[in-house]
Amino acid sequence: MTKRRLRDGSRSKGTPSMDKTPISRGFRSRRQQQTPKIRLPPGQYVTMDFPVLSAGPTPQIKVENWTLDIQSGGSLLGTWSWAAFEALPQTTIKRDIHCVTKWSKLDTTWQGVTFDDLLKALGLAEAPTPYVMAHCDGGYTTNVQVADLVGGKGMIATRYEGLPILPAHGGPARLLVPHLYFWKSGKWVRRLRFMKADERGFWESLGYHNYGDPWKEQRYDGD
Amino acid sequence: MTENGVDLVLDGNAAAGLLQEIFVRDITTAQIQCESCDSTGAVGSLHLYAMPMGAVLRCAHCDGVLLRAVHTPHGRWLDMTGTRYLRF
Amino acid sequence: MATPGKNRDMTVIETSAVSVRRLEWQRAEVRKIMVETPRVKSFLLHLPSWLGHLPGQHVDIRLTAEDGYQAQRSYSIASPPEDKLLTLTVERVENGEVSQYLIDDVRVGDQFEVRGPIGGYFVWTTSMGGPLCLAAAGSGVVPLMAMLRHRCRRRKNRAPALLLYSSRSLEDVIYRDELDSMAHRDSDLHVVNTLTRQQPEGWIGYRRRIDKELLAEAFVPPEWNPNIFVCGPTPFVENVSRFLVELGYDSLTIKTERFGPSGG
Repeated sequence: MTKRRLRDGSRSKGTPSMDKTPISRGFRSRRQQQTPKIRLPPGQYVTMDFPVLSAGPTPQIKVENWTLDIQSGGSLLGTWSWAAFEALPQTTIKRDIHCVTKWSKLDTTWQGVTFDDLLKALGLAEAPTPYVMAHCDGGYTTNVQVADLVGGKGMIATRYEGLPILPAHGGPARLLVPHLYFWKSGKWVRRLRFMKADERGFWESLGYHNYGDPWKEQRYDGD
Repeated sequence: MTENGVDLVLDGNAAAGLLQEIFVRDITTAQIQCESCDSTGAVGSLHLYAMPMGAVLRCAHCDGVLLRAVHTPHGRWLDMTGTRYLRF
Repeated sequence: MATPGKNRDMTVIETSAVSVRRLEWQRAEVRKIMVETPRVKSFLLHLPSWLGHLPGQHVDIRLTAEDGYQAQRSYSIASPPEDKLLTLTVERVENGEVSQYLIDDVRVGDQFEVRGPIGGYFVWTTSMGGPLCLAAAGSGVVPLMAMLRHRCRRRKNRAPALLLYSSRSLEDVIYRDELDSMAHRDSDLHVVNTLTRQQPEGWIGYRRRIDKELLAEAFVPPEWNPNIFVCGPTPFVENVSRFLVELGYDSLTIKTERFGPSGG
């Protein structure tokens, strides 16, 4: 199907053949917000809500039982209990986040431990491999390149807007990689596994784009 | 907005349209067996998550993933790894 | 396939809707609009190639804007298979892009696309027998109304039926007059309302959310082995199903349709 350019510069996917599809008189997207276009990736709309989407039931995780493991090639490079993790250097960032289901939320504030600080805490000058798989409670996985995590681009977040992240939003800790579509920010992260070769995670192995750059509208495999 | 996530789960019946695009027939009344815990039930009674990204159908007893389906502009994807069988 | 004419009770609907065929979009035209409550309207649609449905099924609708933008949603069918036009009953939802368009803007003569019927699991026909016990909150009553309307049209084999219906206030009770009149004419149909936020003066009915005690009082006992259907927002459905299992109803006889957080 051809992608038509809409008046606002975004593209509508799945444009129908106009002579067959009935137009619903007066219907228009209510989601065109007054946001500078430069701020929003193509096809996105701004929401004031924080929609929740999960691939499974919300795990009820007690922080006293929580650990974060860093693994590479079958070896455990490091592990933190909650108390130890909270004692690591904390960073606060403000970013826009973009979900592949088309909502974007602007200026969200998160606090946690950056990937750079995790490497430092492990005594590593650099990551042992180019790829990481995030493993989460409930079985969810997502793959991210190290290049998309270093330089402050990725963190393990524990607070949203100054408060502990709610379970429905991935608490007590979630991966946060805001420059990619938000499915890459795996909720309930428990283990980061370094991989020599890239492997596809939960959505990436089921038709979603392996990389997921919202600015290139890389929603699906083949985009 | 949901605080605890309990409102997110739907019934397998709500995935009927997406699944019928793949199976051509309505499979919500088909019996499906979970490979993890052996329990059997109708597809319509499974617990459905992740809409609208896709359909993730989980066992009503053990929460194991039985079936995943996604509709993309480039094609439809189906993964039935957790299912032992589907009986029409 | 519905056979018009004398033998309405012989209409064969059981096989036509649950068939092996690809779901196709077809053009629906709004023939009539009815205001049910301040936030709810019913839309009676004409569909050129509709092959029938089972009470409880739903359709997908798709709206297309002039610029090609599309939005798709699912709605339960409110009409029984015996009706010529297809009725969808829609509740206006806060921030609901599609429901707001339907409630605020749609006029008779407007068109959109519909595909269906969908979902053969959450269905009841008179041939499945009873007793029939239905529990709904808000717009969850819609698919259950299709079942009751179908039951009403079938004069023979009318299984006893009960609808336990939770609404915020009397003005929010969808199909209120029709339910009153159906129950009035049929001694085997009972409609029990509970109004959870606001009750009119002199209200002697229930005034709380459906809980275990209420279900125990209203439903037929588990030994009667009723066919049970529960529909509404997800938390409502989860609570009611759990209470029913605790009260001893067989979970295999309980069918649920969760509408998600916003209640459909």
